[in-house]
Amino acid sequence: MLFRVAGARDQKLGAADCRLQVDNKPDSCVTTDSEKFGEFDRGASGLLKRIALSNEFGLFALIVIAVLVFASLASGFLSNFNLYLLGRIIAVNAMIGFSMMVVLVTGGLNLAVGAIGVCVAMTCGWLIEDIGLPWYLAMLLAIGVGAGLGAINGFGVVWSGLHSFIVTLATMSIFFGGMIFLTRAESFREMPELFTEFSRLKFFGILSAMLIPTVIVAVLLGALYHFTRIGKEMLAAGAQAAAAEQSGLRVSRLFVMCHALSGAVAGCAGLMLLARNGAAIPAMAGNLGQDWLLIAFLGPVLGGTLLLGGQVSVLGAVLGAALVSILSNGLLLVQVGEFWVQACLGLMLLLAVVLDKFRRSFVQT
Amino acid sequence: MLKFITTIAVSALLATSAAADGSKVGLVPGGPHPFFADWEPGGIAAREDFGLAAGDYKVPQKWELNLQNDLLLSMVVQGYNAFVIHPGDPVGSAPTLNEIVGTGAPVVIASACLKDPSDVAFCIATEARDSAYRGTKKLIESMGDGPKKIVHFAGWLVEPNTQLRIEGVERAVAEHDNVELFQVIADIDAPEPAEEKISAYMAAYGSETDGIITTGWVPTVVAANALRKVGDKRIKMVGIDHDPVVVQAIKDGFVVGSMLQNPYGQSYIAAFAADRLRSGCTVKADAPFTPHPLTERFIDSGAPYLHAGNVENRAAVDEAMTKELLATFEDTYLDC
Repeated sequence: MLFRVAGARDQKLGAADCRLQVDNKPDSCVTTDSEKFGEFDRGASGLLKRIALSNEFGLFALIVIAVLVFASLASGFLSNFNLYLLGRIIAVNAMIGFSMMVVLVTGGLNLAVGAIGVCVAMTCGWLIEDIGLPWYLAMLLAIGVGAGLGAINGFGVVWSGLHSFIVTLATMSIFFGGMIFLTRAESFREMPELFTEFSRLKFFGILSAMLIPTVIVAVLLGALYHFTRIGKEMLAAGAQAAAAEQSGLRVSRLFVMCHALSGAVAGCAGLMLLARNGAAIPAMAGNLGQDWLLIAFLGPVLGGTLLLGGQVSVLGAVLGAALVSILSNGLLLVQVGEFWVQACLGLMLLLAVVLDKFRRSFVQT
Repeated sequence: MLKFITTIAVSALLATSAAADGSKVGLVPGGPHPFFADWEPGGIAAREDFGLAAGDYKVPQKWELNLQNDLLLSMVVQGYNAFVIHPGDPVGSAPTLNEIVGTGAPVVIASACLKDPSDVAFCIATEARDSAYRGTKKLIESMGDGPKKIVHFAGWLVEPNTQLRIEGVERAVAEHDNVELFQVIADIDAPEPAEEKISAYMAAYGSETDGIITTGWVPTVVAANALRKVGDKRIKMVGIDHDPVVVQAIKDGFVVGSMLQNPYGQSYIAAFAADRLRSGCTVKADAPFTPHPLTERFIDSGAPYLHAGNVENRAAVDEAMTKELLATFEDTYLDC
């Protein structure tokens, strides 16, 4: 569930400590919680202890508590309609979280996820409405544009040597400003009915069809980090870039790929919102796409993805997004005041960062 | 645990159905904005006058479509069963509003319109394009003869009415060969951008400008203050809405007049209509709707012109307009 590199973020460790092999076998550098916990406890009781201590279990317990609290305080929280709405919100929030998570792996971040997401949605709208492409082709090309914009971020980070915070802060304005200039802030409104029909589709009365793309991307990302060499190389490069470089990994190329992946996933989130709104709207992620940022960080960081890189949890990001969505929805239902919801989310991010610090201390000990 | 959850769910559903006995009307604007300050008393008055179970005014925390959508859907879950909504986007709001109508809750659009097709009942608002057109004609009239240059300060571009207002101003200017629309400055319906851009414009081109037409609440207030600061009544101005700053500027002669919209009356009548629709009334097939660029189901709530002659009686102007519309509303637009 949790993928990370041995010795990740221990600044005292040298290149050799990462156990990366010069014959380019990064698998030996990757370990899981089972190895960590296995040092002090093995067997069935050890397994239970590992599960109980895992980040995902903690999140799951918090979700159960939140559900029970809101169900008792808010009428209709467990109604079919609200469960369906929650599924739809979780689907979009988790996808936005993935777009940040795949860059957090490198120890960097991508402030331009919202701007890229809107650019992709607007590109898709333009390709369908003005160019007349079929929807599936337009979606593919638009996601390609998202990957391209992400790759520009990656190249900017690698070639300039600047922190991704600075680079993506700049590209956030560049991408969004360029999109506003090209579209003259006009929405694309002639979308096929299929988009809105998909966003409103539900299974068994409670499951939103919007969960399908999120589940697909989650499974693909899980497979990437768990089963593929390139995914493990990404983790290794994010954990100890210098060590990975000395072991023969092309760290720069890996970082560019992570950013490109982030752009593509942000594009998927943008297309989901396009389906939700039935139109590509420049303001769909707020000014400069900034409205996505809190959500983008909350899911992965709550879920156990280390801010300093080298460790990722796809399931954790989904559970983190679910917790955030449940809290937002529940707070609205108990009528704490619409203006307090954002403040509560901000507090959660602060809490998540503190937890992240403790988690890193735990990993290092 | 499962039993506990099931009990809670059943209780919640029972509570929801109990609340469904009366019309629980939710009044939701696109976001925080001073224009909607009158919606809250409008909802309260409608609750008292028409015996609604609720007439609650709820504001999304920001002017953002997703936040409005989330708020609206959470209100459905809370048992609100009729809605008066200012759409966050003329097209992007449609899927969510259709979804709400699909739950059985009628939706009446107020103060701006949703683009057809949609499942909402109808739209009650000021005809923004016509109001801007008439306001500009009043401005041109006040400037007198000879070549004149005017500037247009407009609201948010994402606001459904802004583009219509820009068109209305352009149409009025096009009818006068001696008048030039020097510049259109839009997307400034918040204090910071309005102060910055209007001040910059006045500093650079104030001396060349003969008239100002404003079609957004904040630009109107900022421009009225700017003219008062300059103290020169040579530049004529026609604004929009009824902020106390604008009303005082009309009294003092710094502003020629203002086009009213009556948000109180719009929310009051829309809440009444939403309640009647929930109670079984339907919209008349042959209702005499007014032509509108976005929808075929438009009810013009009127746009009286406030000027030095009637500025002391503004409240009476709004009240008269509301009463007049309400008196014939049910017979004209609904089958009950």
